[in-house]
Amino acid sequence: MKNKSSVIRIIGEMIGKNPGLCFLLLFVIGVSICFSLLPPLVLERIVDTLTAGEEIALSIAVAYFVMVAFSGLLDAAKESMITAFGQKTTHRIRSVMSEKLKRLPSSYYVEREQGVTSSRFVNDVNTVENLFTSGIISMAADLCKLISILCIVFSKSLGLGLLLILATPLLFLMTRQFQKRMLKAQMENREAVGRTNQQIPETLKNMRTIRVLGQETYMLHRYGDTIEQSYRAQERSNFYDAVYSPIVVSVSSLLIGIVMAASAQSGTVQVFFGMTAGTAAAVIAYVSNFFGPLESIGMEIQNIQSAVAGVQRINEFLRETEIKKSSMETKPEESEYALETGCCLKDNRTAVRISHMYFRYHNQDGDIFRDFNLTVSEGESIILAGRTGAGKTTLVKLVAGLYHPQQGEVQIFGKNPESIPEEDKRKWFGYVEQQFRMIPGTVGDQVSLLDPRIREGQIRYALKLVGLGEIVESLPQGIHTPCTEGLLSQGQFQLLSIARAIAADPKILLLDEITANLDSETEAMVLSALRSASQNRTVISVSHRLYDGERDHFARMVCL
Amino acid sequence: MNNQESTDRIGYYFRKEKWILFIVAITGVLYNVGMAAGPWFEGHMVQYLCDILGGSRKALEMAVLAMAYVLTIFFVQYMRYLKRLYVRKFANHISKSMKMTLYWNLLHRKTTEQEAAGSMMTKIISDADACVEGMRKFTTEVFDTGVVMVSYLAMLLFYDWKLTLLSMLFPPIAYFLAERLKTVVIKNVALSRESSARLHEATLERVTNALTYRVYGQETNRNFAYEESLTDYEKKAVRANIWENAMPPIYQAISMLGAVVIIWFGGKNVFGTGWSVWNIASFTTFFSCYQKLAVKSSKAAKLFNAVQKANVSWRRIKPYLAPVKEESDSGTYSGTDLLVQNVTFAYPGQDPLFSEVSFSAKTGEIIGITGKIACGKSTLGKLLIGELPYEGRISLGDYSFSHQGNRYEAGVAYLGHQPELFSGTIEENICMGVPGDIDPVLRAVCIDQEVSGFPDGIHTVIGNGGIRLSGGQQARIALARALYHRRPVMILDDPFSAVDIETEKQIFSNIRIWTKDSIVLLISHRLSLFPKMDQVLWMENGRVYAGCHEELMETNPNYRVLYEIQRKEAKDHEE
Repeated sequence: MKNKSSVIRIIGEMIGKNPGLCFLLLFVIGVSICFSLLPPLVLERIVDTLTAGEEIALSIAVAYFVMVAFSGLLDAAKESMITAFGQKTTHRIRSVMSEKLKRLPSSYYVEREQGVTSSRFVNDVNTVENLFTSGIISMAADLCKLISILCIVFSKSLGLGLLLILATPLLFLMTRQFQKRMLKAQMENREAVGRTNQQIPETLKNMRTIRVLGQETYMLHRYGDTIEQSYRAQERSNFYDAVYSPIVVSVSSLLIGIVMAASAQSGTVQVFFGMTAGTAAAVIAYVSNFFGPLESIGMEIQNIQSAVAGVQRINEFLRETEIKKSSMETKPEESEYALETGCCLKDNRTAVRISHMYFRYHNQDGDIFRDFNLTVSEGESIILAGRTGAGKTTLVKLVAGLYHPQQGEVQIFGKNPESIPEEDKRKWFGYVEQQFRMIPGTVGDQVSLLDPRIREGQIRYALKLVGLGEIVESLPQGIHTPCTEGLLSQGQFQLLSIARAIAADPKILLLDEITANLDSETEAMVLSALRSASQNRTVISVSHRLYDGERDHFARMVCL
Repeated sequence: MNNQESTDRIGYYFRKEKWILFIVAITGVLYNVGMAAGPWFEGHMVQYLCDILGGSRKALEMAVLAMAYVLTIFFVQYMRYLKRLYVRKFANHISKSMKMTLYWNLLHRKTTEQEAAGSMMTKIISDADACVEGMRKFTTEVFDTGVVMVSYLAMLLFYDWKLTLLSMLFPPIAYFLAERLKTVVIKNVALSRESSARLHEATLERVTNALTYRVYGQETNRNFAYEESLTDYEKKAVRANIWENAMPPIYQAISMLGAVVIIWFGGKNVFGTGWSVWNIASFTTFFSCYQKLAVKSSKAAKLFNAVQKANVSWRRIKPYLAPVKEESDSGTYSGTDLLVQNVTFAYPGQDPLFSEVSFSAKTGEIIGITGKIACGKSTLGKLLIGELPYEGRISLGDYSFSHQGNRYEAGVAYLGHQPELFSGTIEENICMGVPGDIDPVLRAVCIDQEVSGFPDGIHTVIGNGGIRLSGGQQARIALARALYHRRPVMILDDPFSAVDIETEKQIFSNIRIWTKDSIVLLISHRLSLFPKMDQVLWMENGRVYAGCHEELMETNPNYRVLYEIQRKEAKDHEE
């Protein structure tokens, strides 16, 4: 199964789960093909009747209309069902991809650009969506139609049938050649589109620098360059797209011309190609019907090509290395992780123990930590100091279980932090990041992180503890005020992330350079909030330097 | 970019591409008029075959006719190829110039409007795509539907105008129905688009905050919420697609009612009892012409929907396409003394943050600005880059700064709290389009050794917002950029907040050398470097006290207390 494309497997599962819908879809496609083949046969009757000098019965005229109307309605039913099936499948693909997000290692998020990852979800899955609505299924239907027409043509004119059989492989080879070239162009285009999309939010974030340095024109050129790259790739695929249909139609007219000229001959040629005027009218209709589907296959190539590019990228995403299973799946017994309150403080247990740890980033040379040891007792406050690049933040992330050491062990209260069940994480540690990360929702949601287990009382208590209680109450709708960029000051947002960290009353508080991006005006505010938030907790804090007054309440300093 | 053009008029984009459109028009007309040749030739070939079988014509005549048919179709199809290619070129060009205009306007939008514009920008870009797609379809269909329908109709009228009028009763019924259903289609498409936008946002948010959710154990919860957006999108997209795709076959079936009329009355024509005298050729030509017309009429309904959709998108992006005037800065800096006179600033609706601030500085000086929390020292820095409006006068030599706000001063470089890095290479981030050697500035900020340790050196790509660098590295790259773009006035707000004390000292002495032709305003709350400053501004209670370090130590007790506390702490640390 490993080599099999994951997206194809998902599609297979969808077919297995919805046999009724699939069967109905096949049935409707079959019936609609039959109905679309009938009108030319009626036309043949009409022309032959007229040639014979007879009048046409009204019933034949009505029969012609019924055939056409029915095939139209069946087409409509076909389209709707294809859409429904396609949407079900893309829904499933996106669900599988969002599950994958949970299993990706933390380093993935640091190394990849977010715009690119989300374009896997949005743009690439959209191409799969198009694959259904105007791609593979309609192409299969068109192929069936093609074969049925070929059979009828053979029964009417052996010569034309043979000509069609000769022309089809040539056209097919040409189609394949076009497919390959377009795929390449599509891939390049998709990449460039990802880069272009990323540039807008980045520009907004860095607007002050751009304007102070007066580099608006430079930024415009950067933006223009990525658009240009995407267009150069697109123009190449446009060329193949534009030239395909005209070639097909020209070939079809050439065939009709040859057949008509040949059936006008006498002798063996005439026997081979020969037909009545009525048959000729029907055959012309069939040949244009024959190349009609072939022509729409040409159009569908474009959709299928983008989808193949999209599917390849989705598969790449789904095959990304995952977090080691051992740390994910060995779910320890519940009791082992239950918080044993009460006995903690008097025992003076070890909160964090790091023993003989080696760690390096997989894409970098050189160990960040070699045989590193650290023990932090419960209730202790330590500060990690050291020069830039010494690995302070990395250590905090290792304690939080975001990274996995190559050798040695990291334990918090005797357990591997990577194997703490998701729902217990907040009870064990709170992690305050360098910058506040806003999520969509109310001010209260910023604290709870939309976690249904965090109750409103806990949110209010956490806000009060960090000194935001009154400020939040004074907002128009209190904690239910929608949170927006300018609602609070930068420092107040950082207080909000501390409230977020302590909402579930964790035993360990991890602070990652939380005042690094603050000016001194707000720094003091944050530090005093920290003082009340860190009471009765084990605190590990990262600092590139010692802040005024910060050291007072940190018992120990660890230099890296 | 020429900003005097009315970039918010749709006509501007069509005019801009007039040569491409000219080619599209010529090839489009030739192709579509030529389309009528197909049925005509086909009808005549059936007639010739009939005649040859009856013995009234020779086989050679058929060969000539068939040859003419093939050559005509080749030519018509070549025209079609050219038309298709140029319509796509047209769409690409328009899409590019629209996006470039949107981006340019974003860059020049007033500071106060930027935040509001930011959240909308991604949506606007996708609206621009929808709009261009509508313009492409419109241009295509003007020829492929409009011109072709006229030429088919002309041919039908030529053969039998009465029968044409009778059979033409049915397509208008299809149009009428299409018109009635249009509002339903638009409503459903709009709902599906909204849901798709929500899904897009939810995706970006889920990925951007992935690590936060992971560390707080919220990944399963967030995936449940994501699943809800997925379900909503599936439902709305299916509904919209059914309305959109399933309608054309029904329109077509209605138009084909006309075929019954043609077979019945056309048969009479051939039989000799109708309105006109027809042969088999006329019958076949007329019939296949009408069929093609009916197919086209169903596409005409689709054209209306496409234009309608594009129109909705256009109205949304139009305000963002309005031309902006680029404020050219004609400042000349003959004398280079910075003079700040009686500057007063208040945030709207508040008491002044500081008032009557005056000080001056000479080239080569480094001025330390400090004060207690919320004294407004960062705000003072922002006044100098023209980000906020103020009262009073700021001038650099003979050149007076604008006090209106919303206009950035060309003689000033600024480094704020955020590093503001781009997802390019280190070199691109520092140069920002001004080519030159960046090694000296890397050395000045003490990051040269770290950078040369990276696999790609200065060509290392640093990721979105510099995410692949540590916080301290980001801050130093940002400082290097400020130093690289040297200006007469350099404002550095807390440049050392993310570096250790040793590095801070080293960088400061390098800045001294680098900025000997500039005035540096260094805003900080850490005073260890202040004895080395040429001048110190102490901000307190809305007032500014200027002097050198020693003077302030004597005259200002608050300054002295703060300095001494910090020095004591630094000493403790060393021990």
